[in-house]
Amino acid sequence: MIDSEFLARLERIVGADGLVRDESELLTYESDGLMSHRSRPAAAVLPETAEQVQGVVRLCHQHTVPFVARGQGTGLSGGALPHPEGVLIVMTRMNRVLAIDIPNQRITVQPGVMNLEVTRQVAPDGYYYAPDPSSQVICSIGGNLAENSGGAHCLKYGFTVHHVLGVEAVLPDGELIHLGGEALDSPGLDLLGVVVGSEGTLAVITKVILRLCRRPQAVRTLLAAFDSTDAAGNAVSDVIAAGIIPAAIEMMDRTTIRAAEAAVQPGFPDAEAVLIVELDGPQSEVETLFEQIERVCARNQAWGVQVAADDAQRGRIWMGRKAAFAAMGRVSPNYYVQDGVIPRSTLPEVLRRVRALEERSGLTIGNVFHAGDGNLHPLVCYDDAVEGQAELAEQVASEILSYCLDVGGSLTGEHGIGSDKACHMPKMFSDDDLATMQLVRVAFDPDGICNPDKLFPTPRLCGEVPGPYRAHPLETAGLATRM
Amino acid sequence: MTTTNAPPSETVADLNARLDERVARPPAPTDTVQGVRPQLVVEPTAPEQVSQILAWATETGRTVIVRGGGTKIGWGPTPSSIDVLLSMSEMRGVQAHRHGDLTATVLAGTTLSATNAVLAEHRQWLALDPPDGESATIGGIVATNDSGPRRHWHGAPRDLIIGMTLVRADGVIAHSGGIVVKNVAGYDVARLLTGSFGSLGVIVSATFKLAPRADASRTVAVDFPETGRCAPYVAGLLAQAAMPTALELAVPPVRMLVRFESVEVAAAQQARQAVTLAEQHGGSASVLTADDESGAWRAHDAHVFGADREGTILKVVTLPAELSSTLEQISEVAQANQLEYAVTGRAGLGVLFVRLHGSGPGRAAFVTALRAQFRPGQGSVVVRRADPELTSLVGVWGPIGDSLPIMREVKRRFDPTGTLNPGRGPGGL
Ligand SMILES: Cc1cc2nc3c(=O)[nH]c(=O)nc-3n(C[C@H](O)[C@H](O)[C@H](O)COP(=O)(O)OP(=O)(O)OC[C@H]3O[C@@H](n4cnc5c(N)ncnc54)[C@H](O)[C@@H]3O)c2cc1C
Repeated sequence: MIDSEFLARLERIVGADGLVRDESELLTYESDGLMSHRSRPAAAVLPETAEQVQGVVRLCHQHTVPFVARGQGTGLSGGALPHPEGVLIVMTRMNRVLAIDIPNQRITVQPGVMNLEVTRQVAPDGYYYAPDPSSQVICSIGGNLAENSGGAHCLKYGFTVHHVLGVEAVLPDGELIHLGGEALDSPGLDLLGVVVGSEGTLAVITKVILRLCRRPQAVRTLLAAFDSTDAAGNAVSDVIAAGIIPAAIEMMDRTTIRAAEAAVQPGFPDAEAVLIVELDGPQSEVETLFEQIERVCARNQAWGVQVAADDAQRGRIWMGRKAAFAAMGRVSPNYYVQDGVIPRSTLPEVLRRVRALEERSGLTIGNVFHAGDGNLHPLVCYDDAVEGQAELAEQVASEILSYCLDVGGSLTGEHGIGSDKACHMPKMFSDDDLATMQLVRVAFDPDGICNPDKLFPTPRLCGEVPGPYRAHPLETAGLATRM
Repeated sequence: MTTTNAPPSETVADLNARLDERVARPPAPTDTVQGVRPQLVVEPTAPEQVSQILAWATETGRTVIVRGGGTKIGWGPTPSSIDVLLSMSEMRGVQAHRHGDLTATVLAGTTLSATNAVLAEHRQWLALDPPDGESATIGGIVATNDSGPRRHWHGAPRDLIIGMTLVRADGVIAHSGGIVVKNVAGYDVARLLTGSFGSLGVIVSATFKLAPRADASRTVAVDFPETGRCAPYVAGLLAQAAMPTALELAVPPVRMLVRFESVEVAAAQQARQAVTLAEQHGGSASVLTADDESGAWRAHDAHVFGADREGTILKVVTLPAELSSTLEQISEVAQANQLEYAVTGRAGLGVLFVRLHGSGPGRAAFVTALRAQFRPGQGSVVVRRADPELTSLVGVWGPIGDSLPIMREVKRRFDPTGTLNPGRGPGGL
């Protein structure tokens, strides 16, 4: 229980300036990017040092009070949704860059540093930080770590987990530990690999060592229009079949193209689908492969091909893509961002089902994808003012997830499970699979105070009867079995 | 460690009856692990059998050591006794190659080369090239997170794994991840098991993201007069934004191999540039192709890992920018202790393998001196292939740091009775 004595002790740890207890101020932290899930924390703290985080967590541990870490609150699965009887640990003041080590291609930052800031710091030296979520201007490295965030360029360069070398973390009992380091392959279990992507349920991260990448010699970006998403999808398959791994292949459909045009005028053609393909690497490699990409596009009846002549044009194409979510606000009063994954070869089949669902439900569904790795972002449009539409939108979004699972895909490619999809977990994982994940959870957090009610389905969240377990297509295909 | 009283033959019969199949047998001479003979050997053919075997072992307090191809079974400390040797060699095959998705699911007992022979049909491969790829199995490679020169570009198993089926010590079969390359649903238990040296569960199958085979390959072989030239050369390549798939060094004598795999024109052009740069750094360099190229790589692999090479093998990890000073230390400490040595490794990543010959106390002094150079997180010295004398003096892993208690707790939760590979997991788990 958080009482005045507890608050006084919190204040002693973080100072009066670091404690938020005022009800109206606490409202700021009521939700993350998933606005439909709201809950006001009992208190919020804004620590400035790892010692303060430790102090807060230790206090919570002593009193079995839940705590939730929050970065910039841009998460889209309710991962940073506060606990009504708990402390919200807001990491925004821990936003210093601690060390830049160009010879070793490393940077050490506090978790509150923004994603894009990392690249800004090292750009003068010819380096960048590869994972580039569309929210990179406004999301923190701590949040990226917790969600194992991806971005358009993850097809070639991997996700956050491939770029984090080490962390300092406060365990749920207040112990400070180090995982990984500046050097590779620290001996021991790869706990870093499981802490990344654990959605703030295992520890609070207080320091991060990231790997930097060298700017490639050449970058070429192409935008191509297609008369159908099928044709665009075939072009993607042909690129992969040709043995080319572009830095990015992104697809947008008519709805999202129009929204982006309305919002930021990137100059996209008014087509059924556009593909953005980017190649990077050594000059001669990029030139050769770029010709192959152009041929693949032509073979699939692409038109309106634009090749970025310079950084400004390239920036404009990417602005159109990265604005796609926010731009939906231009064409619909409300929208729900879904995040599901399918094997990329099933793209046409799944898109057809989404189309049919759009017709059946009467709700517009825009589609943007990281097409290269099969990560779909259907945007389900609705109007909150119309009775029942919000619920319908949620049902439609859930149904799309079931299409993903039907073809052996995943509930989430980058936004996480959080509070949003916890009740869907039994559709993808058996009780045994979830119990195995719980072994990790209880090793770190036996009292269940570190971001509780996220990621795992609980009777409290999902009702007494969790969703029926359906065989994963892997099993039906005889590729996997379970007891 | 528990040892059971029943004579081995009775246990074999008992287990076969229980599994309703002849999967258990008495050990053959080749089944010893660092000279220790297991009580019995089991060779299951299905995950359900692995499950039953582990449940039985845990219930009856028996210890289990898992063997893939047996290429790394000599890593780690010598076990005091082994009740059950679980061989995965009968669980073989590429279960699915989804070439349009660039993924494949492979049973743990499949060798890497057998795996890649199947994937080659679609000009793809599992981009790992650890030593002993002919006999090393997928399960063993994943369990040890082992990799080779191409790690420079493609990464290690932990970077390529996207899903796993595993059997826990209590016999429960569980899955993690899936078959898609991008997936953040739930904890990444597959990654946790990767590099866990069989201490948390038995890997039954694994799913990986694959790479397309490149059109062309060139290797630049550079001979330098001294080790100090390597690091500036690596920095020079990086400054040019060259994209080698492997960037290796070997000493003594000082030789670097830089591989470019791409389309023909790009591989050739990058190789030429790498030669010019090497000459500017005082090296003599040439571009190798075809048989010369594969021959140079075979010799490079054999420099430390050759089957005919005796001696201790250490994995020494340092910061990439500390490469020169680490190489100097290796040479100085080896000389001081009258040891012969050979090094190969990833010059761009700071991951080195050192083979040592000489007296036990000399090798122990070498390990201790080198470990003392590294602050936590800045480098490590792990004993890979060793003998009981050395590991009793310096252990296998060296300091783990402040995360050891939580690692122990994870081990305790996964394997509360200490059934799986006891004492041989990372950090002595
Ligand atoms: C317009 C828009 C576009 C987006 N595009 C992408 C995209 O392309 N790719 C993508 O992957 N995501 C995307 N996102 C989602 C979101 O930006 C990412 O998930 C991001 O990583 C969240 O960072 P944050 O700082 O806002 O974290 P928050 O939302 O504050 O928190 C996210 C999770 O991280 C945990 N957390 C935060 N800090 C810490 C810490 N220090 N220690 C432990 N746990 C911590 C929280 O508990 C929570 O579970 C997008 C979001 C928006 C709004």
